Amino acid sequence: MANVLFNILIFPGFLFASVFSLTAEYVDRKLCAKLQNRVGPPWYQPLADFIKLLAKEDIVPQQADSTIFTLMPSIAFTATLTAFFCIPLWQTQSVYPFSSDLIVVLYLLTIPTLTFFLGGWYARSVFSMIGAARAIIQLFAYEIPLFLSILAPAMLAGTLSLSEMTVFYSHHPWLVLLNLMNFAIALVALLGKLEKTPFDIPEAETEIVAGTFTEYSGRLLAFFRIAIDMEMVAGSSLLAAVFLPFGFNLGPALGFILYLAKVLFVVALLSLARTIFARLRIDQMINLCWKYIAPAAFLLLVVDLIVKGFIVK
Amino acid sequence: MTLLSKIVNWARIKSPWIIHFNTGACNACDIEIIAALTPRYDIERFGILLKGTPRHADVLVCSGPVTRQTKDRLIRIYEQMAEPKFVVAVGTCACSGGVFRKCYNVGGGIDSAIPVSAYIPGCPASPKAIIDGVVKLLTSLEEKEATASKETVETKG
Repeated sequence: MANVLFNILIFPGFLFASVFSLTAEYVDRKLCAKLQNRVGPPWYQPLADFIKLLAKEDIVPQQADSTIFTLMPSIAFTATLTAFFCIPLWQTQSVYPFSSDLIVVLYLLTIPTLTFFLGGWYARSVFSMIGAARAIIQLFAYEIPLFLSILAPAMLAGTLSLSEMTVFYSHHPWLVLLNLMNFAIALVALLGKLEKTPFDIPEAETEIVAGTFTEYSGRLLAFFRIAIDMEMVAGSSLLAAVFLPFGFNLGPALGFILYLAKVLFVVALLSLARTIFARLRIDQMINLCWKYIAPAAFLLLVVDLIVKGFIVK
Repeated sequence: MTLLSKIVNWARIKSPWIIHFNTGACNACDIEIIAALTPRYDIERFGILLKGTPRHADVLVCSGPVTRQTKDRLIRIYEQMAEPKFVVAVGTCACSGGVFRKCYNVGGGIDSAIPVSAYIPGCPASPKAIIDGVVKLLTSLEEKEATASKETVETKG
């Protein structure tokens, strides 16, 4: 019982996930600033933003559906927090491993996008409704490449359990090189999932005010923001576990530091992409995902199948 | 001040998100405000972010005299912001109405419509002056509690 409480409240639950996601947001913003030749925000910036938003007035618009409007931020927060329990962090085992937990993690990471859609739609403001529609269109574009690119390594390992996958890749380290292209595709899809700059179409502030989050303020916005940060860390942990599966037998201290380094590496790649690219239009984004990225992911799936048939017994 | 309100006040000072609204300026002040937001001046050092929606913002940065056309909209945007909120008037026109004071279509400065916390004069106010004004507003918050803005609203009616 004490162990379960420790897992939920401290590691890898509430405390660790919150602190690490705020740190990841700081690393993201600081790197972005450094790449633009700026000084960037101080280390406590995400924490100060969070506390300030918690202390601000909550406004629920008169025309909004107040139940769904106020419920969605906590659902997004809970879903991303739950994903941490099924992802192998610094060991080959996750905290609560079970067969085919890969599918559960992928679906838990989809829930935030659905909450953005529902929250934006039921705010019943023009801008948030446009943003919500764009969020759901974008979901259909990036979700297939993401699932395919993670399915290929899973198929090569012959399992849908993340823990068994990490064990398999610890024994066959060279097969990781085969999945490097899948890693690139998963990164692009993760950018879409996190609604970061080349794909920040649902919250495009130069077109539709703040998109899905237009009507959110105060505590509700604070929880949406920390849910997005947590989704970034959970998504990066998933990519680190699937595509960078090495160094799981280093023991607690070194292994934990290596885990942090791997996640921050993925976050750094995301912020690099955020700095380099400008926002695409929604039709360009759909074209990119359906015409180029999804077929490439299919092709890599076939390559992995052939390799599995010939090399891995 | 208790410890909790001290932490909250610290967070408010360290993370002022702004929204920019042109109430009828000639665009000179707007260009200077945009220049202040560029990487050259890097106001993200102070935690300042430009937000698109009044719901997210803490500081309303206004430029220009309040014309009859924009007065209702300015009040509406001010009311859409969540408490605690502050208003900064950038440029001479925003401070007093400037050369357009008592024009047939101009009501006066920003404070003729909504309460203003900081005035930044200049025609146009330079980016350095704008950053200086915002930092002065934030340091003035250190002394008094941030709920003071509510009182000014009540006294101004």
